[in-house]
Amino acid sequence: MTEVFIYDTLRTPFGKGNRDSALFEVRPIDLLSKCLKALQKRNQLDTKAVADLIIGCVIPTDGQADNIAKTALLHANWSSSIPGIQINRFQTSGLAAVGLAAAKIKAGWENLAVAGGIESMSRIHRKNNRGAISSDPDIMNKIGSIPSGVAADLIATMENFSKEQLDNYAFKSIQKAITAHQKNYFSKSVIPIYDQNKIPILVQDETINTAITLEEITEQTPIFPKSQRFGFDAIALRKYPLIEQITPLHSEKNIAQPADNAALVLVGNAEQSKILGLKARAKIVAVKTISTELTITHKGGIEAAKKTLAAAKLKPKDIDLWYINESFAAPALLFQKTFKIADKRLNPCGGNIAFGDALGANGAILLGMLIDELERQQLKRGLIALSAEGGIGKSMIIEIV
Amino acid sequence: MIKYKKDTENIVTLTLDMGQRHENVVNHQMYQYFKPVLTHLQKEKAKGTLKGIILTSGKKNFLEGGELEYLHTSIDPKEIYKHSLSLNKFFRALEHPGVPVVAAINGSALGTGFEFALACHHRIVVDDSKIRLGHPEVTVGLMPGNGGITRLLWLLGLEKAYTVLTNGKKYRPQEALKVGIIDSIAPNQKSMMEQAKQWLLSNNEGRRPWDRVDGKIPGGTGNDPKVAQVIQKLAAQLSRETYNNYPAPQAILNTLVEGSKVDFDTATTIESRYFTELALRPETRNMINTFWYDYNAIKKGINRPKGFGKFRAKQVGVIGAGRMGSGITFNCIKKGLKVVLKDVSKPIAELGKQYAKDNLVALVAQGTISAEEQTTLYNNITTSAKPEDFENCDLVIEAVYENEMVKAKALKDAEQHIDEYAIFATNTLSIPITKLAEAAYRPENYVGLHFFYPVEKVPLVEIVRGKKTSDETIARAFDFVRTMGKIPIVVKDDWGFYVARVQNTYILEGITLLQEGYPPALIENLGLQAGMPKGALAFADDLSLKMVLKYENQAAAHYGSQYVPHPAVATLKRMVEDLDRTGKFKQAGFYEYTQEGKYLWQKLGQYFPITQADYLHENIKERMLFAQVIEAIWCMQEKVISSVPEANLGSIYGWGFPAFTGGVFQYVNSYGLNNFIEKCEQFKKNYGPRFRVPRILKQMKKEGKIFA
Repeated sequence: MTEVFIYDTLRTPFGKGNRDSALFEVRPIDLLSKCLKALQKRNQLDTKAVADLIIGCVIPTDGQADNIAKTALLHANWSSSIPGIQINRFQTSGLAAVGLAAAKIKAGWENLAVAGGIESMSRIHRKNNRGAISSDPDIMNKIGSIPSGVAADLIATMENFSKEQLDNYAFKSIQKAITAHQKNYFSKSVIPIYDQNKIPILVQDETINTAITLEEITEQTPIFPKSQRFGFDAIALRKYPLIEQITPLHSEKNIAQPADNAALVLVGNAEQSKILGLKARAKIVAVKTISTELTITHKGGIEAAKKTLAAAKLKPKDIDLWYINESFAAPALLFQKTFKIADKRLNPCGGNIAFGDALGANGAILLGMLIDELERQQLKRGLIALSAEGGIGKSMIIEIV
Repeated sequence: MIKYKKDTENIVTLTLDMGQRHENVVNHQMYQYFKPVLTHLQKEKAKGTLKGIILTSGKKNFLEGGELEYLHTSIDPKEIYKHSLSLNKFFRALEHPGVPVVAAINGSALGTGFEFALACHHRIVVDDSKIRLGHPEVTVGLMPGNGGITRLLWLLGLEKAYTVLTNGKKYRPQEALKVGIIDSIAPNQKSMMEQAKQWLLSNNEGRRPWDRVDGKIPGGTGNDPKVAQVIQKLAAQLSRETYNNYPAPQAILNTLVEGSKVDFDTATTIESRYFTELALRPETRNMINTFWYDYNAIKKGINRPKGFGKFRAKQVGVIGAGRMGSGITFNCIKKGLKVVLKDVSKPIAELGKQYAKDNLVALVAQGTISAEEQTTLYNNITTSAKPEDFENCDLVIEAVYENEMVKAKALKDAEQHIDEYAIFATNTLSIPITKLAEAAYRPENYVGLHFFYPVEKVPLVEIVRGKKTSDETIARAFDFVRTMGKIPIVVKDDWGFYVARVQNTYILEGITLLQEGYPPALIENLGLQAGMPKGALAFADDLSLKMVLKYENQAAAHYGSQYVPHPAVATLKRMVEDLDRTGKFKQAGFYEYTQEGKYLWQKLGQYFPITQADYLHENIKERMLFAQVIEAIWCMQEKVISSVPEANLGSIYGWGFPAFTGGVFQYVNSYGLNNFIEKCEQFKKNYGPRFRVPRILKQMKKEGKIFA
């Protein structure tokens, strides 16, 4: 059976996903093209050998619309033989792109592909997405879709998590990121963004709040206080009637803020690496995409991880490092509790609460962080798991080679 | 049918006058009548001899919707859809030819009648506070289906249109102007016609906003990010308010949202499709049955003793200026009655007067009444500390503290000052009327009038017949309750009468579930999801657990050796006697009460441990509803209540039995009698004899009858 290898991963620095972002002036298409150019350069890549570019993007409108993968290939002067595709599996999209590329290679249809994601949230706001799941009153009430913040509070309530626990989790995530930053752990993957005159625009992550104190986190008031919930609680309790009422616990500081980023992963089979002289860094062991109940939404990652472990015939203790998306603290804490993971093994360089979340790119970013950190700590096996809207979950296990 | 008159300035007045009927009624056949008129108008227009059209009525009303009877019996979606389209087409033909039409509204225009008015380019209404306008369809589970929703969307914008369409309100002219569904008001008929003409002479625009190239929906469409957020909020609020049990407001919201994203004609097609779907939903059928047919049956006096002339009370005495007395006082003066409000001292009585004042001020603020009306109505209250002041009252209502002695004294004090034709009514909730009547000089004139809190909001009153209460007194009490604008139900003088007695079974069933080891939050949430206004445990706390127990003890006394103890009694006793948690009044019951709100008492699990593992949601919901329905059937069998309409409406307005079911008896009709009996037997086997099938139900099964 063909094995699928990861040769390289890279990403842009994290920009704040608002008008204050250093990347606000940069077009989404530029973020992605600059990644392509960097990937080509550092791997001395003959782009004709690349069969496809698969790009995850959660808000594919405006400057990210019209198959941004194909447009970026053209803009980066890659071979015109590459078709390019943009996909959306909500917050798992970046990892879903890697999974899809891997599947094509595993099937033997293709030898080498690039996958990843893009989200310029400073330019293109979440509100631009007005799909039926979140804005058609008929569908919303029929299926019971609620904002993810209320779903996160629902999990916190069901698990009896205190605000203190959530805040501590958030504080730890940021501390880990600060340390990783100071020690330059991200240098392998992050490519600085320059303008057309080679003047730097953003060279490293600007989103990590290095000065934050635990007090600053704890004094934050909830983002979804009862007065702001309209009827979302009632929708949630229709499915979870054992809960009396949902306690608002998540605040601005124990959730991930929107961010700008683009990330790429180069994947292929063993044969191709020989021809092109590429050195494999990791191998994909197992991948699973699943979906759980919609309303609670953040449990997809847990279920996906369970299934992936089972498919790889592994136990949680066999995993050296874990990477998960941290949209909200409670689901992350629940993930940690479910698999009994030690703090230092989960998101060891910090997570989205520290960096921000660039939706469509996030899966590819976290995969890169995981590989970098496994290599740095000279460990072998890592698992990445993501939860997304609609109850979707995706997980992947990799091994350093 | 349609009178045609053209004046020298080329303005045509069309006067609707449906010959045989008392009222003008609009329905799907209307197009037939109008077709020749429209054809003629089009010809006039082509010739250039038509400036504009005034549409008015030759009847007391402008136009009423007349589709309910038809809709209640039709079963073919294709036909309903076709009829809806044909009315649509007619309205389009009226507004489309490019000649401005003014609706000169000289009477009420509701439902489809108001859709007609909306299809005119301009609406002028006579300033008469008896006139009602708007779309109350939602109150019978329906929605406008002939372009009314789409036109309001374009006139008011999505959010405002949603409010007007879902609050079920019938607007007075001043209110309608304020909310924006009409364009102007005229002091009288003559002035209205002049205004209409003036408008036509100064306006050539015969195209509605949606027929103009630059026309826009105010506030934006559902594609606008800001509106999209509003939609999300509205959908969630709706879900909280209805627990998805009421398809009508949901269909209205869907129509508005989808309609905002397409052109006008496509939007009205979407509207017709939702309307058709809605018309055939069981919830709609139930609601039409109860809120239209049952309501009309009561209005016509199904439960009023025959042979007595109409009683027109002019002056009412109220004893007690507490929350009930104040509410009764306010309700009476609002309906134009004079009130003598008495309490132990004049300053205390003044408190009740102040309550009425505050409410009148609020009515002025929302445009329901004018400032002059406020003064007139307010001056109808006289406060007093002396029973002598009841001398000219036609009826005296005692609303003092729930205590036999106190009530007897109030009765004796007042009765000697009122004449032998006057009624004396007591507002009691748990003391037998027959017993209270023992203190009366004229027990035949003594009756129970059980109002519910808040009086001005709850549209139901229980008329309680004591053993000696005369038929004439009942008939007069009935007329009085109608004058107050409320729905009277006549009930027997048994414990809890009808409402409190049946409501108690919901509470008891909830407590039984707790005792059986179900989590309290589940009991409360499923009660709400079943359509009840509160969880059973919250109900118990609000009423007080002692009162719940008292009613059950009264039931025990009533049935004597036949009484089968309710399993909830043990838990109730434990809460009241051992744990001293009697409810909200004591700030400790099934709930804890804090400044931030109430929470289920955390120690409940300690005393009533959760032992059940399977939570069959549907089963639990049905148990809670069945308990009430069966008790209501017992009430019918024991003649506590005597008609189906009273039982249905009493259950909805009295204690909040879910309206989408159409009430306790319509619930059985809708469930299917055989299915219902089968389920009762299953519940009886699993949960106890309180679910046994009452005799009259078995009888109905034998005779193949339904509740009607």
